[in-house]
Amino acid sequence: MNKIFCAWGVALVASVALIGMSGCAKKSVQSGGDSQSTQGMAKGGGDKSGVGSYPDTGVQPGGGLRGLDKNPSEERIGSGTMLAKVNPSGNADRQMDEIRAEQAASAEAGLRDVFFAYDSWAITEEGRQALSRDGEWIKSNPNALLKVEGHCDERGTSAYNLVLGEKRAKAVRNYLVELGVGANRLSVVSYGKERPSCTEHAESCYQQNRRGHLAVKVGK
Amino acid sequence: MTRIKLISAWFGGVLFLAGAVGILESGAADVFLEVTRSDFQKISLGIAGIQNGGGPDWLGGRIEEVLKKDVKRSLVFDLVDLPSLGITTSNMGNGTGTGSKALFKQVAEKGVAVLVWGKAVMKEAQKDADVNMEGFVYDSGSDEVVGGKRYAGSPSVVRLMAHRFVDELVFRYTGEPGIARTKIAYVAQQGSARELFVMDYDGYDARQLTADGFLNLMPQWSPDRRFLVFTAYRDRNTQNIDMIELATGKRWTLISLGGLNITPSLSPDGNFLAFASSHEGNSELYRLDTRTKAIQRLTVNPSGDLSPSWSPNGRELVFVSDRGGGPQLFLMGSDGTNVRRLTFDGDYNAAPAWSPRGNWIAYVCRTHREYKLCVITPDGQKRMQLTTGPGVDDSPSWSPDGRHLVFSSTVDGKSHIYMIDADGKDIERLTFQGTHNSAPSWSPAS
Repeated sequence: MNKIFCAWGVALVASVALIGMSGCAKKSVQSGGDSQSTQGMAKGGGDKSGVGSYPDTGVQPGGGLRGLDKNPSEERIGSGTMLAKVNPSGNADRQMDEIRAEQAASAEAGLRDVFFAYDSWAITEEGRQALSRDGEWIKSNPNALLKVEGHCDERGTSAYNLVLGEKRAKAVRNYLVELGVGANRLSVVSYGKERPSCTEHAESCYQQNRRGHLAVKVGK
Repeated sequence: MTRIKLISAWFGGVLFLAGAVGILESGAADVFLEVTRSDFQKISLGIAGIQNGGGPDWLGGRIEEVLKKDVKRSLVFDLVDLPSLGITTSNMGNGTGTGSKALFKQVAEKGVAVLVWGKAVMKEAQKDADVNMEGFVYDSGSDEVVGGKRYAGSPSVVRLMAHRFVDELVFRYTGEPGIARTKIAYVAQQGSARELFVMDYDGYDARQLTADGFLNLMPQWSPDRRFLVFTAYRDRNTQNIDMIELATGKRWTLISLGGLNITPSLSPDGNFLAFASSHEGNSELYRLDTRTKAIQRLTVNPSGDLSPSWSPNGRELVFVSDRGGGPQLFLMGSDGTNVRRLTFDGDYNAAPAWSPRGNWIAYVCRTHREYKLCVITPDGQKRMQLTTGPGVDDSPSWSPDGRHLVFSSTVDGKSHIYMIDADGKDIERLTFQGTHNSAPSWSPAS
């Protein structure tokens, strides 16, 4: 008797959960949207608000499966999800030229990288020394604008390393500001573990990649 | 109906309380349990060949090979080897001949539940000639040929025909569409740049989607499979969240707030985009209402919050926060309320992905300084490690049927894309080209 009751209960919960899911999901989503006002947000999007246009991504029912048929008629198979051909354009070449110009300018300035410990964004004593020299150059070149890049080694997730890289870049920027460099001359960007300077799976490579890099901005 | 609703509310409350208690207890035991339901019996299925009815020699064999791999990966069927059961097959046509009848009897006696066979034809004389494929299905339980399919298309869609046929089989026996026609978006190194690509779920037919010459990271699908959202550094110095339409290549910037704008994730209904942004200081989670364009801030604390992943009903988010020191998984309502910590094992847990069935959350866990895949139940009660050994595993993403994960790993040296069953069995490598493939994202089923 107990068992029967229990089985019924489980079935009920399961079926109700299924029914509930579609209905409830919608409700909670709507109330979530209503509860927050659109204060300060341009409703139509646009560049000022930092929000671009958004297409309808509602799921189209169906899915194209028509089921097995005792007397099947012929189905024409297209190429599946249509994929546009990518236009190779000159982007890669242009980017490479700009990166080379940036690297040349940074090398000419003699700017040094700052290296970090595993999982850490604290500036070490060695890092402080490198940054004092970098700071001198920046102060004596008042027209130079710099980009502070935060980098990580390959260990850890791509996503968390982007956050870690930003912490490293900001630690470098903050220290330079402490040294008297105007904050408006320093922009910050994290490349996480996506632009490594070496790719070996060894500590000797990892320590080169855990770095804050100062790049002199060229043009623009 | 009213009564059912009342009972459901009551049961829901009990379940919720049970969940909350579990989280408070926190000592998530390191139990190793079956991920897939233990009472799920795979359906035995035999393939009696795809006959070559004219055309190149490889035709029937290739279709059969794709069918077999799809059937195995479905995890719905148990692919049986007919010759080893003493069953020999011949040309069966549509299964109405006397030879077929004898074969069906044999198949039923050996306990094979489903028999599949077919024929493929290609008119070689014409360039770009059509391929015609037909497949039939015998069900020994009902002792009848339950039906078949006929497909036509160019030689370039031969694999798709097989994928489609297996999805029909899975649909027939489970009511779910199958995953054989799903796609995987990922990031591949091109020179010194990282660009977006899309490939079939089995690693075939990789296509490049972006050519910026710098970084494009962490693509995620829209629920209708027509778009990807991702982090783009178009000018190298700023990070935005972009959107691209696969069919047209049309692309635009969706979020450009300044600072770090990463880990975009669309709600299952497409009405909200959750993402991390540092435009107000440190990395926090935000939610864009895609209809009104209103942005709501979900987290407020001085630590890094990132990597939101939606529960399948859209009501909750799992995300990463380092508010306790190292990164850990946390749960909250999708409006930012009711935040609670989910993971307590180890000092590094990140990159969560909520299973489309809702019952597991996959993530990257650090053990012995290696980054491996783990799964945990949303109530924190059960946890297990799926991969072991050296190498950095990253970016787990669920198949829409919840039976597989795709992820990147450096286990073979360079970073490549792998598929693994949700219970940690059967790792299959999907990419072999290139120097660095990462951030795979499995498309929804069509």
